[in-house]
Amino acid sequence: MLTVVKNQIKVTLLSIKYGLMRQMLNKTTFITNIIFMLLNNASFILQWVILYSLKDNIGGYTFKQVLLLWGFAAGTYGVSHFFFKRVFSLSDIINTGKLDASIIQPKNILLSVITSDVEASALGDLIYGYIMLFICDISISSFLLFTLFIICGGIIMTSIAIIYGSLAFWFNNTEMLADTGNSLMVNFATYPEGIFKGVVKTLFYTLIPIGFANYIPVQVLNDFNVFGLLAVLGVTTLILCMAIAIFYKGLKNYSSSNLMSARI
Amino acid sequence: MNEEKAIRVKGLKKTFKIKLKEKGLIGSIKGMFKTKYKKINAVNDISFEVDKGEMIAFIGPNGAGKSTTIKMLTGILYPDQGEIEVMGIDPRRKRKQLAYEIGTVFGQKEQLWMHLTPYDNFKFFGAIYDLDERVVEKRINELVELFEISEFINTPVRNLSLGQRIRCEIAASLIHKPKILFLDEPTIGLDPVVKENIRTFIKRMNKEYKTTIFLTSHDVGDIEKLCKRIIIVNHGEIVLDDSMDNLKYHYLNKKIVEAKMKEKINLDDEEGITILKDKGYNLKIEVDTTKRTVGDAIKLLDPDKIVDINISNVPLENIISDIYKSGN
Amino acid sequence: MRKYLYIYKSELMSQLQYLFNLVFGFIGCGIILFIFFNLWHYIYSDSSQIINGYSVDQMIWYVIITEIIWGACMGRTLCRKISNDVRGGNIAYNINKPYNYIGYSLASHLGTATVKGIIYTVLALILGLVMMGNFPTTNVLELVLVLISSILAVVISSLFTIFIGLFSFFIEDSSPFYWLYSKFILVIGVIFPIEYFPNVVQPFLKFSPIYVVSYGPAKLFVNFNINDCISIFVAQFIYILVAYLLCSLVYKKGVRRLNVNGG
Repeated sequence: MLTVVKNQIKVTLLSIKYGLMRQMLNKTTFITNIIFMLLNNASFILQWVILYSLKDNIGGYTFKQVLLLWGFAAGTYGVSHFFFKRVFSLSDIINTGKLDASIIQPKNILLSVITSDVEASALGDLIYGYIMLFICDISISSFLLFTLFIICGGIIMTSIAIIYGSLAFWFNNTEMLADTGNSLMVNFATYPEGIFKGVVKTLFYTLIPIGFANYIPVQVLNDFNVFGLLAVLGVTTLILCMAIAIFYKGLKNYSSSNLMSARI
Repeated sequence: MNEEKAIRVKGLKKTFKIKLKEKGLIGSIKGMFKTKYKKINAVNDISFEVDKGEMIAFIGPNGAGKSTTIKMLTGILYPDQGEIEVMGIDPRRKRKQLAYEIGTVFGQKEQLWMHLTPYDNFKFFGAIYDLDERVVEKRINELVELFEISEFINTPVRNLSLGQRIRCEIAASLIHKPKILFLDEPTIGLDPVVKENIRTFIKRMNKEYKTTIFLTSHDVGDIEKLCKRIIIVNHGEIVLDDSMDNLKYHYLNKKIVEAKMKEKINLDDEEGITILKDKGYNLKIEVDTTKRTVGDAIKLLDPDKIVDINISNVPLENIISDIYKSGN
Repeated sequence: MRKYLYIYKSELMSQLQYLFNLVFGFIGCGIILFIFFNLWHYIYSDSSQIINGYSVDQMIWYVIITEIIWGACMGRTLCRKISNDVRGGNIAYNINKPYNYIGYSLASHLGTATVKGIIYTVLALILGLVMMGNFPTTNVLELVLVLISSILAVVISSLFTIFIGLFSFFIEDSSPFYWLYSKFILVIGVIFPIEYFPNVVQPFLKFSPIYVVSYGPAKLFVNFNINDCISIFVAQFIYILVAYLLCSLVYKKGVRRLNVNGG
């Protein structure tokens, strides 16, 4: 059992390494991508400077806390898009029969598919996340907590993408739905929870789980409480298990691109 | 479990539900609310067995169910019904275990990392199949020699020619010494010289490692030169399962006579003689030698008026397409 | 002129098949508008409060209009297309065709933009009506002027994008420049009216493209004023002229360079 896990980790890391090597073939493009992503994220600070000139507290967040929220949003995005880039085109992979190559390998299918490429610009997001953290707080404990949280958040985001992507096992034309679903998390993630009311707030702890990926982490980092930490860990595990179960259930319906819709 | 057999398939079935879509915008909108489905029996009750070490051709026209069958054998697709055993393993239940036993090459889909060298790719595949560093190195040396790869072992795959790439693809799929190799159109898009070259490699490999080879191809040359046995599928069913020799023998009693004439002659079909083509000066006639002799046919043409003549066997390609058609 | 109209029309017709995708694609835009609805309602204590001359409803309508215009511009697609034309050598085929490359690109892009613009306008206005319950103005003449100004905004933005795309004649990749332009418009021009910025920078912004590609039409929609209207139209016409001249200049220089290098 242990060697199986060890071998799986070895292959996954090798796969990510090769993906990174591909991105680094053109060094200039690689570095420009990262730098532009950093600048891109940084440009939004201007928006918040103006908003905080109108009011000191927005949605229960101070300016620094918004920066930290951005740190979490960027970090979460960075983890999922760097390590698991291909999960965001899972619908297409399923529809065009590109799962075949992973199925015939004696390794975990899902991991092999989603780790087969990396997104260079997501490294920029990861770096930006840590910069925001250091602006707000420099300490070993917050560094470790932040790292743990963005890994959890990244897994949550990836799991949601697995679920949306797996819909392609059952339905046609789910790509746009998956794209929209995934962008929901990104769009909401950078705004303080407190500006929303009612139903929308419950969405953040159910269908669009940025509550667990971003809001609770911000709270815990500001004012440590063990329940928040446990909730995030628990929900991450739960969503991940759900995603895996759905993917493998769908896999039995996999038609390896044989299912072309015929026109009459 | 039968130790002698590499593949055993019994009563295999697979249906696809195909979504029907009407044309245009209105069709798309209608499709959102109510979808019509059509069931297609991609594979309909297929049974066969393959011996260990055999080289078998599995052929059929497009959409006959070839790749669906291969995909079920390799664990990619779930069959609806029937039994499959590949090296005694049920692909449905023990996908991972099966993966160690089989190798696959899809001519149209590359499995290699394009930006890496063949060497790095081989190492990656070695890791996938949990091979020891030392074992991988040794295996790579063997394969490099067998497929004559040493010249470009350190060139990124994307810079290789298609022929070189296919050689690497096949070598990579052999890294874990699979007992069975599935080759899906391995020579597609290659020029005749390279095709011949690939065939030699495949033959050599079969001889060296006793690998069972399961080949699909539209290229009759592949089939004729490599395989001793042929299975033809059409409309999801097996229409022929026979040795290559038998197949040829069966059709060898037919000869094709092509003649160029000095002047136009008019001929009609007779018992044992069929006019395949009649363009006035150029004629193509099929003679059934169980009923008539080739000499009869030449007499009919009037030997004095023949400018040029060519007598040949029916090409395998025609035999196969005849079988496809008769299945309809 | 007729051939450009024809190019425009055929591009428009071919875009109609993607109607469903566009409607679906609006969801992303709708989410942003919804977020701003919440954000501004949080910042404004009540609906009668005025900040920098705008009420809360006006701020949300402002974002709705700028988002529609920005959405219809589809700059990234256009910039990529122009760059590909230049780098892929496609432009060489266009040199000896009896039309002007810039006119051709603009016409075909506006065909695409029209379909997206109409869909986004309808959906965004419905969304706005649902959220706010009323329109800032129902005066038909004012609405027509806002519409014309919005169309001019799309034309100017497209010309700027073509201008940036044509940089590919001289540098390998023009997308960083497009990125800078889009950030400038998005972060500064789409969310906040010019009045929200410090007094020192306001005059600069009034002379910047923001005034003509986002602020102008949105300002007219939320708070119509004939003086503003005239100055916005004048500015837009000047900008069209300048942007077109810049495009032609870069194009001519680029093509000459192409000839020297032999394509």
